[in-house]
Amino acid sequence: MNIFLYLDKNTWIHRLDPRTKMIGVLIVFSICLCFNHPLYMAAISLGIMLVAISAKSLQNFWRLRFILILLIVFSTLMWPFFAKGPTPLWSMGSFQVSQESLLYGIAMGLRLATFVGTGLIFLSTTRNEELTNGLIRMGCPYPIAFALSTALRLVPTFAGAGATIIQAQVSRGLDLESGNIFSRVGKFIPQAVPLFIYAIRHTNLLAMALESKGFSPESKRTLYYEPRMRRIDFIVLLLLMVILILLLYIRLALHLGAIIPSRL
Amino acid sequence: MVVMGHGGAGKSTLCCSFNALIPKFFRGKYQGRVLVNGQEVARRQVAEMSRLVGLVLQDFEAQLFSTNVELEMAFGPENHCLLRPEIERRIQRYLTFVGLEKLRHREPASLSGGQKQRLAIGSVLVLEPKILVMDEPTTDLDPFGREEVLSVAKSIREEGRTLLIVDHEPETAVTADQIWLIRDGQIVSQGPPSEILVDGPTMESCGIKTLPMVELFHSMNWPGNPLTVERAIELIQRHNLTQRCERKVATVSTGHIKGSPILKAEGLRYIYPTYHVEALRGLDLFIREGEFIAILGQNGSGKTTLAKHFNGLLKPTSGRMLVQNKPTAEYSHRELSRWVGYVFQNPDHQIFARTVAEEVGFGLKMQGEILKTVEKRVAEVLEVVGLQGYEQKVPFVLTKGERQRVAVASVLAAQPQVIILDEPTTGLDYRHQRDMMEMLKRLNRYGHTIIIITHSMWVAAEYANRTIVMKDGFILSDGPTRTVFAEENQLAEASLSPPSLVRLSNWLGTEALTVQDMVQELKK
Repeated sequence: MNIFLYLDKNTWIHRLDPRTKMIGVLIVFSICLCFNHPLYMAAISLGIMLVAISAKSLQNFWRLRFILILLIVFSTLMWPFFAKGPTPLWSMGSFQVSQESLLYGIAMGLRLATFVGTGLIFLSTTRNEELTNGLIRMGCPYPIAFALSTALRLVPTFAGAGATIIQAQVSRGLDLESGNIFSRVGKFIPQAVPLFIYAIRHTNLLAMALESKGFSPESKRTLYYEPRMRRIDFIVLLLLMVILILLLYIRLALHLGAIIPSRL
Repeated sequence: MVVMGHGGAGKSTLCCSFNALIPKFFRGKYQGRVLVNGQEVARRQVAEMSRLVGLVLQDFEAQLFSTNVELEMAFGPENHCLLRPEIERRIQRYLTFVGLEKLRHREPASLSGGQKQRLAIGSVLVLEPKILVMDEPTTDLDPFGREEVLSVAKSIREEGRTLLIVDHEPETAVTADQIWLIRDGQIVSQGPPSEILVDGPTMESCGIKTLPMVELFHSMNWPGNPLTVERAIELIQRHNLTQRCERKVATVSTGHIKGSPILKAEGLRYIYPTYHVEALRGLDLFIREGEFIAILGQNGSGKTTLAKHFNGLLKPTSGRMLVQNKPTAEYSHRELSRWVGYVFQNPDHQIFARTVAEEVGFGLKMQGEILKTVEKRVAEVLEVVGLQGYEQKVPFVLTKGERQRVAVASVLAAQPQVIILDEPTTGLDYRHQRDMMEMLKRLNRYGHTIIIITHSMWVAAEYANRTIVMKDGFILSDGPTRTVFAEENQLAEASLSPPSLVRLSNWLGTEALTVQDMVQELKK
């Protein structure tokens, strides 16, 4: 299975500078925090869906559909326990669910799903290296950016080794299909130990290979993929800022879009 | 230049001392000095040395870490702070050089083994080092990938760069300018191939297989020391050493195994669910108890997929896989592991216990055997694999060959009738390869059915009594090993070629698959 979410397409979002995308994600997150009315929230979610369509990332949304649906359902069910509103809808003893808290729950579900969706668009359209380059360009020290991108890169490698290890242990009689929680924990050791050893060997070799190719974390280096801010990048950022300010105005000055105004 | 020696002789250590990984990366006691281009290596940093010496490690999987081929190539030049147009030019030049320019935007993980190794070589070459050191560049490859890498090596030489290769196969060394033989950390002899490769006893003492042609000519007391089959044929014709004859179509072969059927595939098809790749396209196969089978074929031909059906790790998409006349789908993994044992290629994928005894007894304990039986059985199988007295040792610190045996022992402990081994000889030196195969032969004699998946042609030729050649999810040929190896054209279709002795045997029209057999046959 491929754990990477990156989709090698050539859309306008793919072509954006990684910095634009990173700042853009932060602005969109802030936009999501503007309202807690489900209708307003739904409009934002719809907007993100449209962006996802134009970034040709829907196949990743489909892959993670269960997580997205689960977020909305759980949030709708859980929030009424915590948020209180004035209009009672249903009560049992001292516990009651209000109309507002239910709607609030739906809005929160949409908000969480939109958070995940935004991140998903980012990961579907940004290469690992672009992410590193973007971070470096924004002032992140190279060793940290490099460590981050290497860690991301190693996940599928280790997942692959893990799958082989499980097969190897199952074929000599490790029974993963039955047993209670305690015996299952015991069965974890034959899988974890070889994986640890593999990880140590692998990273050691990788370090050797990196050094042999002249890598040293402190020294300067060229970036082959040089991200460049173009006009479209500034337009996108400006547009997002305008939207954010507009929405803040609606919420804070016009007092619209909040089902429980005291909450975020 | 080719460096050869037994496992643990110090070949990789030598490689690492050329680019300052020793003593900078690995600490230890370091004496004497290494000079590269007149500069003392130990005084330099690894990053500095990378301008002079390029090092390609054996494990190419661990070296590739970028998300596409182009960036993998760019990594070295980026470190050297080259300007972007220069990086661009070099990537273009060296991608063409290693023949990967069409795959420029592919993800390295999606390449074949040979392509990955070529990329690893390219990503070092792009730094334009004067000296290129390659540590066992072909060990983990199928024959096709091996050819690819060796042809790249040839072009590197033609470019005028110094090339130092560590390899187990004496065939690689035939065209070298110089060979070093290493034993126990010391160079025991060095010189041109025509001197080194004909010295059988010294080669054997360094854990290297003697060239079969040399061995044959020596045993027959024929004049000359041919290194290749072509040369041998030339000598035989010139001195009229023996007569060619028409090989009688084998009559002895098929009937002699009368075991009861144990594995049976009927119209076996398998499609990998994640990639929708059809790995097996309708196979029919019948395996009897007591057979010794080699499955040959390039990577991606479906060998491993087929073998994983034998012990139920994979379930057929359509068709049936029967073990003891019962479909594998109706067994649990635990039941099946009593019938069919599967030894994975890399023993490190399964070793986890603190002692060898615990490791080997693991399967038995899982099956709920009592402690006494476990102990007894562990002692038995350790003796079979030649590791008696190893019970209390820590498995992680054993040599690769020994770890491989521990893995075999741990499968053997459950006493499965059928034992499948994926690449049992890869990564072992000649002596350990022999030991491993002799052990399997012994097990076969005790009545176990042995199935090996291998890229090593001589292993198949000398040990298997039946050979199955696979290509693109089909069985290309299946029959007694001698018959399969006689069809050189059919093997070539799977990009395989028989080992040199068998090629000579085909040319002469003899039955022999080993040097000893051929000597006997010719002397008759």
